[in-house]
This record gives sequence, C-alpha cells and structure tokens, in this order.
Amino acid sequence: MDGGGGNGAPILETVYLPPRQKRIVDLVLGGVHDVDAIADSLGVKREDLMRDIEELRARGLLVVERRKHAVLSPTEEGRRYLEEGLPEERVLKVLSEKNSVERSRLPEEAARIGVKISPREAGIGLAQLARAGAVRFEGDKAVLVDSSAGEEAVGKVREALSRIAAGETIGEDEARVLRRRKLAAKREYTRIEVRPTELLGFLQERGLLREGKVITILTPEDIESGAWREAYFKPFDLSVEPPRAGYGRKHPYLEFLDWIREILVAMGFEEMKGPHVELELWNFDALFQAQDHPAREIHDTYFVKGRPKGRFDDHEYMERVSRTHMDGWETGSRGWGYRWDPERALRLVLRTQTTAVSMRTIYERGPGEYMCFSLDRVFRPENLDAKHSMEFYQLEGIIVGRRVTFRHLLGFFEEMARRLGLGEVKVKPAYFPFTEPSVEGFIRHPHLGWIEVFPGGMFRPEVIEPLGLKGYNVAAWGIGVDRIAMTVLGIDDIRLLFTQDVEWIRRQPRPLIKEMLR
Amino acid sequence: MPVISVKWWDLERLMGRELTRGEIEDSLPRVKCELEEIEGDEIWYEATHDRPDLYSAEGLSIALKGLLGVEEGLPTYRVSGRVVEAFAEGPAYRPYALFAVVRGVDLDDEAIRQLMQLQEKIHVTYGRDRRKVSIGLYDMRGIKFPVRYTRVSPDSVRFKPLDMDEEMTPSEVLERHPTGVKYRHLVEGRAEVPLIVDAEGKVVSFPPIINSEEFRVTESTTDILIDVTSTDLEAARRVLAIVATATYVRGKEIGRVLVHGPWGEEESPRLEPDAILYDPSLSSRILGVDLGLEETARLLSRMRMEAVPRGSLLEVRFPYYRTDILHPVDIVEEVAMAYGYDRLSPLIMRPLHPGREAGIEVFTRSLRETLVGMGFIEVNNYMFTNTNTLFTKMGLHGKAIEVENPKHEAYHALRTWITPQLLETLARSKHAGYPLKIFEAGDVVLPDDREANLAREERHLAYAVAGRGVTLTDALAHLRSLVELYGLKMSLEPLEHPSLIPGRAARIIIAGEEAGFVGEIHPRVLTEFSLTIPVVVAEINVDVLRRAFLSRGSR
Repeated sequence: MDGGGGNGAPILETVYLPPRQKRIVDLVLGGVHDVDAIADSLGVKREDLMRDIEELRARGLLVVERRKHAVLSPTEEGRRYLEEGLPEERVLKVLSEKNSVERSRLPEEAARIGVKISPREAGIGLAQLARAGAVRFEGDKAVLVDSSAGEEAVGKVREALSRIAAGETIGEDEARVLRRRKLAAKREYTRIEVRPTELLGFLQERGLLREGKVITILTPEDIESGAWREAYFKPFDLSVEPPRAGYGRKHPYLEFLDWIREILVAMGFEEMKGPHVELELWNFDALFQAQDHPAREIHDTYFVKGRPKGRFDDHEYMERVSRTHMDGWETGSRGWGYRWDPERALRLVLRTQTTAVSMRTIYERGPGEYMCFSLDRVFRPENLDAKHSMEFYQLEGIIVGRRVTFRHLLGFFEEMARRLGLGEVKVKPAYFPFTEPSVEGFIRHPHLGWIEVFPGGMFRPEVIEPLGLKGYNVAAWGIGVDRIAMTVLGIDDIRLLFTQDVEWIRRQPRPLIKEMLR
Repeated sequence: MPVISVKWWDLERLMGRELTRGEIEDSLPRVKCELEEIEGDEIWYEATHDRPDLYSAEGLSIALKGLLGVEEGLPTYRVSGRVVEAFAEGPAYRPYALFAVVRGVDLDDEAIRQLMQLQEKIHVTYGRDRRKVSIGLYDMRGIKFPVRYTRVSPDSVRFKPLDMDEEMTPSEVLERHPTGVKYRHLVEGRAEVPLIVDAEGKVVSFPPIINSEEFRVTESTTDILIDVTSTDLEAARRVLAIVATATYVRGKEIGRVLVHGPWGEEESPRLEPDAILYDPSLSSRILGVDLGLEETARLLSRMRMEAVPRGSLLEVRFPYYRTDILHPVDIVEEVAMAYGYDRLSPLIMRPLHPGREAGIEVFTRSLRETLVGMGFIEVNNYMFTNTNTLFTKMGLHGKAIEVENPKHEAYHALRTWITPQLLETLARSKHAGYPLKIFEAGDVVLPDDREANLAREERHLAYAVAGRGVTLTDALAHLRSLVELYGLKMSLEPLEHPSLIPGRAARIIIAGEEAGFVGEIHPRVLTEFSLTIPVVVAEINVDVLRRAFLSRGSR
C-alpha cells in the first residue's frame, strides 16, 4: 500500500495501465489534448485509440469532449489526383516533351512517355492550362506558350489539395477553386479532446500511475508468482456475442412427460404397464366394442402382418365377454345381439388405446379402491402430417371404487388443468363406446380457441362386470398428451415431438410447467 | 363420426318456430352433436355413432323440440288403418327385409336432400357400409302390393337402375353401374341376389345395391315406400323406425306393412316405444347428484322419453329408433345431458393410496439422467420404422413385427433395436456439428412365439458418439462409467456383428447375463446411412441392467 493520505483525502492504490494507455495519459498530462495529435505521436490511427480512451474515461481518469467541425476534405476524385497527378500536371508533362500536340491525340502521346490520361482528363488539363495562360490553341493543336505559368497553376492547386488532405486549413480562394472543381467537399469532422480528471492529476502527483503487464488469460503462474498484483486485466467487450457451451439434455417432449408422471404420482396414481402388441380382446372386446365396430377395421387399427393369433387361457372370462356382447349376460344390458367370435378376440393388433392397459389392470386387480395411470404409446393408421401421427402418447387413467362418480372425473380434469396451468375446463357430452356417461373436456388455447383435451367417462357395466367389478364404478380417461405438450412447448407441428434433428432438440427451451414452480 | 348438414330455415320449418343462433349453439352439444360451422343458412354438425336418428334435420328437429320445450315426451304418430302386405324371402346371406309406408309427404329439394343424407350416413355408419343394413325409399305410385323381397339369379331380370337410360340385369349393374361396382363385393359370387318386386313383378329395387329408376322419389312424390334389408333383424327394425319416423316428420300418416318372413309375421315399422326399468338412485350412484323420481321424469321428458313411476323405480319408455339405449346407464346419460353437464360440480378424489411410478420408468429415468450428465443429447424416435432400416442397411437379416396395413412404407415394422434410428438421426443432424453424443431409451419389440402376444417387449438404452477421431474407446469409457455408477461390473467378449467393424466390437456381460453390445459402426453401414464420420455405439438391455442392479449385494 503506497498511496493514501491523511486529512480525509481518499486512500488510493497504484493504478496499473497497459503500455499504450500509460503513454496516452502521459501525453495528456503533458498538455496534448487533441486525440488526433495523440494518435500522431503514437503513430496509430485515431479509431484505434478510441477503446483505450473509452476505458480511461470509464475508470475516471480522463474527461472526453467531442466537438463537431465542418472541414474541407478531398473528394474521391481529389484523392485520386493526389496520387496520379492533376490532369493539368499530366498534360503539362506531355507538352514539355513535345511543344505542340494535336488535342485529340494527347492521350496517345501521353502513353508514349508513360503518362496515363483519359480523353476527359486531357480536356480538363488543357482547359486549366489555357485558363492560366500556359497553353494556346492553334486550330486543332495545343501549344505550350508559358511553361512557368503552367507550373505555378499546378503547384497552387496541388498544395491546396495536399493541405486539406492533411487536415490543415487553406485560404478562401483556394477552397472555392477546389470546391468548384469538385476536388474537395465540406464534411463534418468530430474533434475529440481529452483532459485529465482530478483523480488522474492526483495519482500522477503521488506517483501512483504505473505501466503494468497486460493479462488476457490469468495463468496459474501469474497467480502463484504474484504477477497479478502489478498487472492490468484486459477487460472483455460485453457487446460481443459469447460462444455457446456444450451440454447434454433430455428430449424436451420426454422431459415434459416426466413432469406429467410426477403430477400423476403426486395425485396418488399408480403407474400401470401393458404390451404394445395387444390381443383384440383387451383392445376392443373387453371394452364392449362389437366385433363389427368400424374402429376395428383396417382404417382405424393396425393389424399384425399375417393375422397371427395370440393366446389367452381364461375361458371363463372369454365366456362372460361373449355373453355380454350377445345378450348382455348378467349386466342388465341388451347386448349387441350377435354371435361373438373368440378367434377374432385373439387376433393381434398394435394397441390403438392404452385403455387396453386399464382392462388388463382391472382384470388383474379386480374389485377394490384404487387409481392407476399409464403414459405410453399407441398406434393408429394416420397419415403423418403436422396434425396427425401414426404413433403418439396417451395418458390413460382409472379411478376404481364403490363411491367413485362422474363428478370425480370432472374433478380430475379440473385438477389436471389446474396443475398444468391450462385454465378453465369446459365440459360437453360425448360418445365413446365403452363409457356412459361420456364427456369431453375443453381448454382454451391461446390461438386455437377451445380445444378438446380431456375425453373420458364412466366405464359401462358391460365392460367392468365381466371383469369382476359388481357394485363398483370406474371413472376413466384417455388423454392425448401431445396436444397439451405442444401447447406447453409452443410448437404447432406434431412431427417435431419425434424429430431427428438434434440441433432442434438442443435449442428447444426446457418444458417446465410454470404452475409447478409457483 | 359423420358430419351432417342441415338448412336453418328447414329446421325452423320442421320445428314450427324460429331458432336463434344461441339456441342452436346451446342445444346441439346436449345431444352430443358438435357444432362445426354455421355458414349463412347452412348448419354443419358432427353427430355421434350411437345416435343415427340425428343424421338429418327431421330427427334433429324431434330432439330439439324436447330440449327447447316445444314438444316434450314421446313423439306421437298418426297411423293409418290400412295395412299392406309384403313377403320376405330373401337369400340366406341377407335374410331380413322390413317395410314401411309414409303417406302425404310434402317434398322439396331440401327435404329430398335430407332424406338422402339420412340414408347415406346410416349406410356408412350403423349399416357398416350397407353390409349390415341398407335402406331404400321409393315413390309408391305404380307399386302394387303385396311387394316381395326375393332372390333371383343375377341374369334373370332386367330393370332400369337409377341414373341409367337402359335396362340392365343385376349382373350388368354389378359390372357397369358405378354404384354396382362400388358395392358388388356384398353379393358377388352368389348364385342368387336379393331383389324387391311388386305384385306384378316390376323391379322396385336391387338391394343393397341400387333402386329402380321407375320409382325414384321426386318433389312430386306424395306417398313413400321404405324398405330396410339386413343381416340382423333387430338392426333392421331400429333403422326402419329411424327412417319411417323421420319421413313422417314431412308427411301426414304412417302406414303399416304386414311382413311375412321365415322368422314369422310382423307389422312394421315398430312405432311402440321400447322400455327399460330405471332406478333413479343410479343417477346419484353414477353422477353423484340426487335427483328424485319427479325431477328425473321431467328431465327425461325433455329428451323425448316418458318415465312412469313403478314403485320406487321408473319405467322409462323411449322411441324405438333410439338404438343407443342398451342399459339403464344409458338413461343416466340422458338425465345428465338434460340436467346439464355444466351444473355437475367437480369433486376432487383424495388419493386412495400413495402414488407410484412403474419401477422400469424410475430406473430408465435414472439412466437417462446419467447419460445427460455425460453430455449426451436425448433423442426420441418412433417405435415404428421399416425393415430396410432395421436390417438391410445394417447388413443383417432379421424379423420384426410388421403390420398388415401400413400407411407409409417408412413405417411398417416395430423396431427390434434402437441403433439404426440413432444412425438415421445422426444422418439428419449433420448441421449440428461434431463431436455429437446422442442417446435414446425406449421400447423395442421382438417376435417371440413363447409370449402370449407373440412378441417380447424390451426396454433398451442406446447411445452413439460421432466425430473425427472417435474410436471404440469412447464408447467403452462411457459404458464403464455408466456401469460403475450403478455399482456393477462388466466384462466384454469379442463380438462378430455385420454392422460393426471386426475386432472393434464386444458383447457386454453384466452379472453373468448378456446385456447388449458395443462397437464401431462398420464403414459399409455408415455409407448406407450417408454418414462420413466415425460412429461408435452401445445398446443395452435395460431389463438386464435393472435385474443386475436389484440383485446386487446389500439392500
């Protein structure tokens, strides 16, 4: 600690500046205030200094003032002439070689002695020389009559042009000439002046200004050796876009489904599982869907190739299903009035609904009070487009119990919508072959209006009584979660949920359900 | 489900009163119809499969009258005293025919459109595309009773079918008439085809294919003969009830037909209501609201039913055309719809037991999180793929569960492993840059005759690392870390696999069980997938890994 002072003066530490900034403050403290002048003495362009000036200002060492001036500076044409020579200068060169030249042949003659001049420039040059009295025209020929008058005229213009190019000022008359000849134009120029702040003076007085090593990357050696103490840390430009870090992540849709599982588990549901390749028995017959029901045809169901038959050994259950389809068995139903074919029930399909899983669950667990869910894939012959898919996830659930009612189903929809932050649920009567009453729950989508997301109902007695549930009710639903997921993920093409574009997956925002964070 | 179109003014005409837009929007959902669109005079709604009686303006008007209080209770009909006769002697493969007569109808273009729509929509749905039930409507002028549903050799008669100028035999109809071609599978190959003829032998119709042009229903038709032929007598009765009562909405009286059939004699159509005994406590048991006898009866009356007290029960009578009432629970729904779903307040079911995720899902999630922690990106592919990707491109021969009726060739088989789809994913993600590390955990299905569903379903975890300089070591390093994180040990055995480079592939053994493979993808396979960067993969059977973890020493 070598700074600081008594009498309430601020305690200051040594300030380390990178070499160039140190030279700048030295110049400023030495009385050079114009940034152009500073740039000149450092041998750099003014633009290259601005970052340093800005840093010094930000550190409170310099005050920066900007003033706008109108200055005359060479036009593009003017600059070119400074390099290639004024037209009159070049014409004069030709005429000093060959006293008289045919005007139209002037460019050719010039070329012979290695001077480039266009016909237009030749015209300008001759006119300027004639005006100065250095050239006279004799018919088609131009004749040099006063070489020194020519030199003088050329010298005047050239000097004026050079001076404004160097940022110096010139007389009114010269300026007018250059402007008229469009060799110079007025342009705005900002003069920047920097002055030391009080702090800078103070640091200077106490010898607290030092040149330090510039550190871009801090090394273990710098830390260990203590070099960092006398170093200047090169600041980062925060306006530059940083690179991205690499990361692993869950698939956004599958992560969303993880959250759905969490919600269901928190509500007290147990997860159930079942096969994707399913007996028609569980996919349809158990659900009291008649064997000639249109949903059981090739337009709506995928059949396993070769139409193989699976196995099922509980003939008593098969008999109860058979009777129920035929005449209602003991369920009090009229039945569908047809002869049920057990062979048909053994055919294999790709399950079209996870309700098949509910059937297997109730078959295994029988009567009782329980609530289960399944979140798995189902298959339907759909053309794959933005709205349809031949494979999608279904969120299936059942609440089994003696006192379970339709109102509990409505309650489930409401609770689910609340937990997902989907807002109000509107319910309407609906039809599903295996539930009665049946319901469709709608939520309000920000763009699409009311959309159906919660289909469900109470399983028909024809469904649950053959499974051994007498005196029980089952509230059931089968939600296509894709639509809800698309709302949460903010996408409108269902194919994106199964995209093979890893970059898309990488860039998707994480699908957090806001309601769960509140 | 069928979308029905009706005209606003026609519906008002049938209802005998004006209808506001609000009434339409509010009432349709109460009979499970979903309003699709109202465009000028045209109303489009989707009706459900269980209510074929709502597939036209006539049936809808009957239901709306009840909901809007214009006319409640059972619909009534004026039935003529006159009874005509018919004989049903059709072929054994389509044995049933029933008839009805509606007199004094007043038809215009829209009325005919509605009756045709009703017929067509029932054919497609309840009629199973005419296979189970088909309907015909005829101008009765010129038809002499008794009519006869009979069977003939397909070349034995000639008649002029609808929309044709020439006479044809049934065989010719099946060959040349567009409708004949469309439905010929229903009678093709039979020695005899069904035919309806009148007392003088004039052909009325060739069911279930086409009617005779001679008896076409037009705006000048006043009396209509309806027939329903079927493979199911009860279905025929219900459908005839729908069509006859709908036609009656535009007519003055229904005439009965005494049908002599092999199953006996019956007067058709059936107009007497059907009935079911209903215990109103069912409403409270299923809906969770207590409505009582009177309220229940009042609500049912709005649904065009009639409930008569029988002790503590109600005898609920409902029109015979209601095909959907099979069980008292169907009455519960009627009660609920009349009461209004929006008036049923939701109840939250308190958890009946602690919730619980399936063990395999918990384990899979843990594996997925491990892979994510190693910097892998999870991908999600369809289980549906194709045998070319699964086997051919991988240099293999194999069997997968395929479907009989694929919609796309690209999706006709269930995946037996995940690796090929990871290669596809890499091929479609070249713009994502390298190195690229991806994984997927999901189900695969392997044909297996030992299973009841002839398929063994397994949960697999597969990962791939792609990039310049990637070798088997990259796959093995991740594998080793993964296995060790679960406190397990693995051993490797050399593996020869057509998809993998020889000498750079291994079988993974965990707790003595084969748990999968790891290897460098063969350049031949990479080329098949248009990949020009080395790829290493591992695919692990999660069930094996889980078993090993569960049987690990201590807890």
